[in-house]
Amino acid sequence: MPDTLDSNRIRVRMYRVGFGDCFLVSLPLSGNGGVRHILVDCGVHGKGNIGTMDSVVENIAKVTDSKLAVVIATHAHQDHISGFDPDKFNKFEIGEVWMPWSEDPNDPKAVKLKKKHVALAAQLNDHFAAQAFIGGRMSSSLAAASAAVANLVANKTSLQALHSGFGGTARIRFLKAGDNFQNVENVPGLSTRILGPPTDEKFLAKMDPPAGHSYLRLNGNRAEAVNQLRPFSAKWEIKPSDRKMANLRLPESEKKRIKGDVASDSLDGLAFALDKAVNNTSIVALFAFGGQTLLFPGDAQYGNWAAWLEEDGSADILSSVGFLKVAHHGSVNATPKDALEKMSTGKFAAMVSTQSKPWPSIPRVPLMDRLKQQTRNKIVRSDSLAIKNLPHAPKGPAVAKLPSGFVKGDFWYDYFIKL
Amino acid sequence: MPNNTRNDAPTKRPLKAYAFDPSQGRNLGNYMTINVRNEQLAPGPVGRYLCVIDYDASNDRYYEPVDLDDPAVLLWGGLDPSESDPCFHQQMVYAVASETIGRFEFALGRMAKWGFRGGRKTDPNRSRLRIFPHAMQEANAYYSRDLRGLIFGYFPASETDAGDSLPGQTVFTCLSHDIVVHETTHALIDGQRRFFMEPTGPDTPAFHEGFADIVALFQHFSYKEALVEMIQKTGGLIYRLNVAPEVAPADGGPVIASELSTSNPLVQLAKQFGEAMGMRAALRQALGTRPNPRDLERLFEPHDRGAILVAAVFDAFFSVYVRKTRDLMRIARASGAASGPDDLHPDLANRLAKEASKIAGHFANICIRALDYCPPIDIRFGDFLRALITADYDLVPDDRYEYRAAFIEAFRLRGIRPEGVVSYSEEALRWCPPEQMTGISPPRCQGLDFDLFSLPTPEQQKKNATILSLFGKNNAAALGLTPGVPVEAHSFHPVHRVGPDGRFRVEIVAELMRQTQVPLDPKDKKSVKFTFRGGTTIVLDRHGQVRYAIQKKLGKDNDQNERLRRQREYYYQMDATSGLTTYLGPFPLDGRPMNFNIIHRGY
Repeated sequence: MPDTLDSNRIRVRMYRVGFGDCFLVSLPLSGNGGVRHILVDCGVHGKGNIGTMDSVVENIAKVTDSKLAVVIATHAHQDHISGFDPDKFNKFEIGEVWMPWSEDPNDPKAVKLKKKHVALAAQLNDHFAAQAFIGGRMSSSLAAASAAVANLVANKTSLQALHSGFGGTARIRFLKAGDNFQNVENVPGLSTRILGPPTDEKFLAKMDPPAGHSYLRLNGNRAEAVNQLRPFSAKWEIKPSDRKMANLRLPESEKKRIKGDVASDSLDGLAFALDKAVNNTSIVALFAFGGQTLLFPGDAQYGNWAAWLEEDGSADILSSVGFLKVAHHGSVNATPKDALEKMSTGKFAAMVSTQSKPWPSIPRVPLMDRLKQQTRNKIVRSDSLAIKNLPHAPKGPAVAKLPSGFVKGDFWYDYFIKL
Repeated sequence: MPNNTRNDAPTKRPLKAYAFDPSQGRNLGNYMTINVRNEQLAPGPVGRYLCVIDYDASNDRYYEPVDLDDPAVLLWGGLDPSESDPCFHQQMVYAVASETIGRFEFALGRMAKWGFRGGRKTDPNRSRLRIFPHAMQEANAYYSRDLRGLIFGYFPASETDAGDSLPGQTVFTCLSHDIVVHETTHALIDGQRRFFMEPTGPDTPAFHEGFADIVALFQHFSYKEALVEMIQKTGGLIYRLNVAPEVAPADGGPVIASELSTSNPLVQLAKQFGEAMGMRAALRQALGTRPNPRDLERLFEPHDRGAILVAAVFDAFFSVYVRKTRDLMRIARASGAASGPDDLHPDLANRLAKEASKIAGHFANICIRALDYCPPIDIRFGDFLRALITADYDLVPDDRYEYRAAFIEAFRLRGIRPEGVVSYSEEALRWCPPEQMTGISPPRCQGLDFDLFSLPTPEQQKKNATILSLFGKNNAAALGLTPGVPVEAHSFHPVHRVGPDGRFRVEIVAELMRQTQVPLDPKDKKSVKFTFRGGTTIVLDRHGQVRYAIQKKLGKDNDQNERLRRQREYYYQMDATSGLTTYLGPFPLDGRPMNFNIIHRGY
């Protein structure tokens, strides 16, 4: 049975999915018009999955009566879209599907960019698998990099479902910075301003991976190099046993060290760069409803924020925000200091969907502390919620008493905003 | 004919190299000969300082090493330039790196040293800088203290936009003269100063990149043929980025090659590399854009920020060049020569080239010598300006050609402001003796043991380190060292120099260092810690009297410690822009030398 919502408050529900995002925003219509629901992301990272996704989608269906006015996929990372299972979501009645412009199949710039991202992610993923297979160096850096790349692959089903409008009549929009909707269809009274992602060349250049790397791939039972260059013809090759090499040959350990230095570090760096690039394609949406302002920045990283922070009026926007979804699970470079400091101390609440697995340095402690100060404690972390039957889910700091406006559910937190 | 007798060992060895890189073809004297100091070489080549090991880690194989003493090679003055012959590549990296080492030794007045230690006892090359000319398939090259060497990559040029290279052709970073000079410079600086490479603020990595570019660019002005040709083409205005076409194109636009305007390679770095990456231009330029004092607040990527320093130095250089050649130009005009780039008289071009190359040599020397007058850690652009002024004043007190005035003006235009100086006057900028800074005059530092004509032995090193650290401890206040923390002495260098007036000077440069562990976030009890260092570079005269004590104070961990606050802020900023720290946290920063591998990749 769909739940009822008081006509004088907005509800933001943050589901605890593990390392991922799933937010349901419910808006009461004036008079007795009922409730409209917007789903912002639905996904969990394969390595940070605590196994609640099925129950989450069931709950969404229940409270919305399987009717969603808008579904937003902020960007094409697993931890934001893996939950969009067509078998389940095709049963919903969906008004609109929003994706960033970088997903638009009719935009040549987007297609080119996307192709590059996908090809690179596949290569890197193969490479890390092959490297793990041959027992290569599995440093913390490599592990973190391969987890970041895993986030980009195997998203095909979800993406197809989104692009098909979940097999229904949903209207699909590809959004970019500067888009403005005064009255979103189906949701009278809601206006939306899109702050990111930008489309300018400078921004795009940041997403262009450099050329010239070679990758490993698993072929049957051995790792082989792909797109490898042979810089010289074979006649120049020389065996280390040759007399001329007496003072030049390197011990095996030394060769290994050099290989490690030149090969794996570089691809780790590339993996992180790619991850950042995709995070930066995030839709940054600013909702205004009944005089309240809510900011959903997806996983926007510094580059995406910087583009609109530089514009006139950004300070006014920030100081008016009443609710903030903390970007990129509270990681270090997803909430610029400038932005956080311009928000009105004590006048907004925040939610962080996060956990310290698979990356122990997320969320960033100093950022969490500053958020606490800026919101005057009106902030919750999804991993603070203890869930029955899931004793092994990573635990965030326990919360003795929830701040006012917040309510605990079975596997979610609600935040209510009075209108 | 030089007057060699049969018994004289040849002092120079001629070796061929590209003056720029293969993409310049045979233009502009691109096929040049470098006369490196003659030394005994084993196949590799392996010499006193360098050891070229052609191991390709991406393909796990070795390429045939060149034997430069092979009579067939000797008789030709070295192998001819070739992209497909790895032996020529080895010859070229050896020649260019040796040339760069020679430049440093000449300017610093002492023998070069490397900054790495270790290597197995059994490794015959443990004291040499290892050069791997084809180490990896990647568009990158870097110096690694860990690997005790220079790593050069090769990569396929862009398929869509490769500039003067063929799309997809293999581009070798070790064949770019500029890149080899740049990386060798990183290694040489690391050998001078133990902690110079620690990234402590936006200026430190930028300084390293900028300085290496400065050395590489000044090198261009020693290529006589290219210089004369560019002077002719630019009418003497060699700082111009673009060169007018040989024939003015007709109204319909250029039709033949001679009607195309070209870029000026003298003021550009790594043209082929930049173009092959699809950048449509050289990697970097000496003078990028108009000087803007706000750039320092805006540019933080090491190469972009370093470009500000490069531009300041080249602005000063070109200003002096213009001033010193004005008379020549006037004489030429008085005799009826056109003032434009057309038909500069070859004699005039030769004279201008001579001036340009002489001044460039002076500037390169001043810049390199300034390293001895830099603080031991946490260098900022303003410190470098003070070091430049002091270094030059010390050797050439009479600034007849106004080199120093040109430096000051160029730095001022770019908003580079040294801390704690009251004005941009030369006097204010010069470092001062310790008694003027702290009010206390330290005694002489006596008993230092060194020999001008050889590197200190390990025993001498040890003895000197003990004397110096004790000297630092006993005179902490006078030398600006925070009392109560142990002093370590590093990088002891005896120096001998001859000024233009023929004065011979002997000096000693050493670093006295202190360090402490501080939390990254002082408000967070569980915060990671990092090593915060302070220290003083002391310059002693031959009697052991302290002439300069150039300091970066350690201080206490409190709100007044501006330097510590800045370093913390920098670490946070690095977090905010690095993809790596998103997932790994800030721990890789702690007290490590900069990772040129990552900086050079330039994400």
